[in-house]
Parts: sequence; structure tokens; C-alpha cells
Amino acid sequence: MDLHKSALSEELNEESIGLRQLILEAVASGGRGHIGSALSLIELINTLYASVMRHNPSDPDWSDRDIFILSKGHGCLGLYAVLAKHGYFAPSELETFCKFDSRLGGHPEWNDLPGVEFSTGSLGHGLAVGTGIAKAFKMKGQNQRKVFVLLGDGELGEGSVWESASHASKHNLNNLCLLVDYNHMQSYGDVEEVLPLRNLKSKWESFGFDAIEINGHSIQSIKESVSKLGHSPSPLVVIAHTIKGKGFPPAENSASWHHKASISREEISYLLRGEK
Amino acid sequence: MRKRALDTVFKLAKQDPRIIFIGSDLGVGTLDSMKRDLPNQFFMEGISEQHLIGFAAGLAKEGFIPYLNTIANFFTRRALEQLILDVALHQLPVKILASGGGMVYAPLGPTHTATDDLAHLLSIPNFNVYAPCDADEMEDLITLDAQSGQPSYFRFGKGGEEIVSSELQLSKKGDFKFIGSNEAPIALVTTGITLQICKSVYESFPLQTNLQIIHLPKLNVRKSQELLETLRNKARVVVIEEHQEYGGLLTQILHLLHFGKYYNCETESISLGNNFIRKYGSQVDHLNFFNITKEKITERLVI
Repeated sequence: MDLHKSALSEELNEESIGLRQLILEAVASGGRGHIGSALSLIELINTLYASVMRHNPSDPDWSDRDIFILSKGHGCLGLYAVLAKHGYFAPSELETFCKFDSRLGGHPEWNDLPGVEFSTGSLGHGLAVGTGIAKAFKMKGQNQRKVFVLLGDGELGEGSVWESASHASKHNLNNLCLLVDYNHMQSYGDVEEVLPLRNLKSKWESFGFDAIEINGHSIQSIKESVSKLGHSPSPLVVIAHTIKGKGFPPAENSASWHHKASISREEISYLLRGEK
Repeated sequence: MRKRALDTVFKLAKQDPRIIFIGSDLGVGTLDSMKRDLPNQFFMEGISEQHLIGFAAGLAKEGFIPYLNTIANFFTRRALEQLILDVALHQLPVKILASGGGMVYAPLGPTHTATDDLAHLLSIPNFNVYAPCDADEMEDLITLDAQSGQPSYFRFGKGGEEIVSSELQLSKKGDFKFIGSNEAPIALVTTGITLQICKSVYESFPLQTNLQIIHLPKLNVRKSQELLETLRNKARVVVIEEHQEYGGLLTQILHLLHFGKYYNCETESISLGNNFIRKYGSQVDHLNFFNITKEKITERLVI
């Protein structure tokens, strides 16, 4: 099955469209943002918060919660939209995106905004930190707690990712789930042109991970794949084929939308009117 | 000094299960006793400094106090971004045990000599930077710092240094240690193992009442009012450090004097200069080359 094609043709439900609407309005208000990157990972993050993770928006520091780290911090608009939808802060705050006194910067910061567990932005950090947290849960006997780390496909060019991958499997961190937002595009263009990833599934398996490839816009596929976590002694990686700019036709599969700095009301209306 | 530091971590770990040790492919037998007695608090990991700092940050976020050890540069250069972002930005108590401060690894060349480590670490907000003068002081500092809740860096000497810390007086507020009178017009300000050299200068100095040795086991002093008030008594401040000239102790002292509006003293630097060092030999050879010796410092002071 061509999972990339499946991702392209996947119909979005009302909830997914609504989250994209929040993202686009934040971009319009802030005048900047990594739109394409945020739109490719919406279903991944929202499914975690809606159906998988143990968390409590009214007590963001709940001591028994699962942890989510957005290692590709430039996809933060997706995280902000999901956190707002789940009640971590008011959706109206998205209008402050990237404003001087905002809690919502162009990359997520841990100390101000409820629900953000760790500051990210420079790539290749999230997996190492997630590995430490997952190890800590095991050392403390908190066997019910899990760690989810979302990485970009371009981010896999960072050598530190593979250092952490080696250690995650050495420590049998089967409470650690990676999700790779495999939208096949990075800043300059096609990932296969910039730095080919070769056989990504085999690569992760050779590092000691259980690896599953899915259509990353299929909520059912996300749920099923993530539910495999803990079924073996190994950490799990979900390679989620996604579409950069998914749900917003002008941005779909377009590298120029990676960090497009402006968006017009007319462009937003494509989505708001439900046009494809 | 390294052995004492690691033994101290072991001792602390016996009392506090949050304290763990992480080595990056260290020599065979390192802390075998801790590995045997506290296997859940001992990690020997691969050569992967970037990962290890992030890993330690994750552990610290969940309440542990990790101590990491390898050669200084491998943390301060290769994993500098992780130290800044994963550790300091999140105010996590990750502790760096840095082997081979200064020219300890002189025979191994510029990849291994730690001539800029203090500059890197002192540029990071809220990162404690320590350079003890001997093993006793190392043990004291690690013990005192353990519950600070802050990130810290400990610079190791070669080991086997003469124990001199017991001969120092502690300033009233504890910002520095010293030998000699606060009223002395000349100060030799130093840190780490160059204290021993400065002490030998003092002991044979013709006019001891004119000279004070100020030792800074903790280098974060650029806002120290206590040190500033002491330096206000000086006509001449000579900063001696086994480090490049920029970014280390001299920078701390100049910052303190400038923003303390004390412009009247003559300030000098005796350091490792500001170029990559492309010679080998021993640590002592390099200290001689850069005039960090009892004879050269004394000569400079009496002229």
C-alpha cells in the first residue's frame, strides 16, 4: 500500500478541520508560522491527547501523567491548537501567537504555557530527553506512565537522534513511543533529495525498535499503531506518512510553505469554506 | 582529584537514591564498587555526549540528580547546545564532572586540552562553575552543591595535587578564599590548581604584607559585592588562570570591576593566551611556556 497516497486522499473530519482553522487564524494574527509542518502533524498530536495519553488539562502537572514532547518544535502551532482544544488554555489566546508578550512563541516553551513539557526548537533534542524521562519512569516504578516524542523526517538528519535511538533500545524503553512525521519534505525540498532516509522502517528496526508504518492522517491507524507500545521489550516507532500542509490545498506538498511568513484571508477561506 | 570526585558521588548516592552516575565510556574498572553496590544508580553509556546530556536532563526533570563524567571538552564543546537548552534553560540539576581541566591532556593536543571550557560554561545563565584547587576542596564543593537544584560544572585537575585548601581563609560571605591581608595592595586572583603556584609565590614573596592571594573555587563572581569590596583595596590585580585569556576568570573580574565602577587598579592577565595550542609535552611544560610559574610570577610582581 502506498501510504503517502493514502495520506493524501484521507478525508479530514470536522474536528481536524476545526484544528486547522485555529492554526490558520493564529498564523494570520501572528503574521508568521510553520504552516505546512503544523498541518501535517495535527492528527498525530490530537489523537494522542484525545484517545491515548493520560493527562489532565485542569492539572497540567498531574504527577501520574504521560509526557508528550514535540521534538520538531517548529510544528508548535499544531500543538498549541490541540492544547487549546483540550482546555489547557483558551483558544482565543492563539491570536497572540508570536506577539511580544505572548506565551505562544514560534517554538514551544515549557515554563509559561500549560501542557508544554519541554522547550524545543533546535532539532535533535527531544528524543534524548524523552529517553531520560522514560528511563526515570522505570526507575521510579511508574510503569503506567508513557513518553511520546514526535520528530520530523528532516530532523532525522541530526546525529543525536541516532545516539538516542541506540540508548533507548539498550535500556529496553518499551514505555517510549516515537512518532515520525514523515511528510517527505523539509525546508529546501524533498527529503529524498536533501538527505535520503532510505528504508526508514529497517533503519529503526536495526536500532532495536519495533517499527510500524501508517497513514498519519488516519485516526484509526494512529490509535492502532500506538496501542502496540509495551507489547514487547523494545521502544516503538510509528512512521507516520503525512502530507505537508494537509487540508490546505495551497500548502499541500509545498516546501515553500515550510515557514511561509504571511497568509491572506483569502487563503484561509479555502479551508474555512471547506474547499478542497 | 577525579577519583575523589567519583568517590564522593558514590558516597552521596548511598545516602540519596536520586543521585546517579553516568559515565561516557570511561576506563575499565571506573567506580566498580558503585556498580556493584548501587547498580540502579550507575550507568556506563556509549560515546554519545549530546545524547547523554539530554538523557540526564530527562532524568533530572523527573527528580533525579545525574552526575556525568568524561573529558571536559567532549561535554563543553560537542554538547554545548544540550547544556544550554536541555539543562540550563530548564534549570535542571545536571552535574558535569569534567576530566582534564586546562592543560592536563597536553600530550593529546588541542582536541583534548580544555582551554575554553570556563568561557563556554560561564556564558550560560545560572550554571554553577567550579574549579577546585585540590581533592579536599573538590569533595567539599560536590557535597555542598548536591542539593542546590541547579546545573553545575566541576573542573578536575590532573590529580595528586598538594592539599592546600585547608590553609585558606574563607571570606565572610563565602564568595572567595584567601591568603594574606585584605589590605594588601596587590592581589593574585586565581582558580583551580594554579592556586598552588600562587601560594608558593606568596610564601617566598619579599613583602608578604603587600600581597594577597584570592582563590575562587566558584567562578560565578561577576556580581559578587564581597569580592568587589575586597578588590577596591587593590592597586594591582593580577589574574592567573589555566585557561584562554577571554571568557574565563579574567572576564569575570573585569566585568566586576567595570560595573562596580572601580577603574583605578592596574589589571593584568597571566593565562594561556588566545590561540589554539599546537604543542605537546606536559601540563608543566605549558605552564612554564605561558609563565605560570612561581619564578615568573614573582619576577613580574617585583618589577
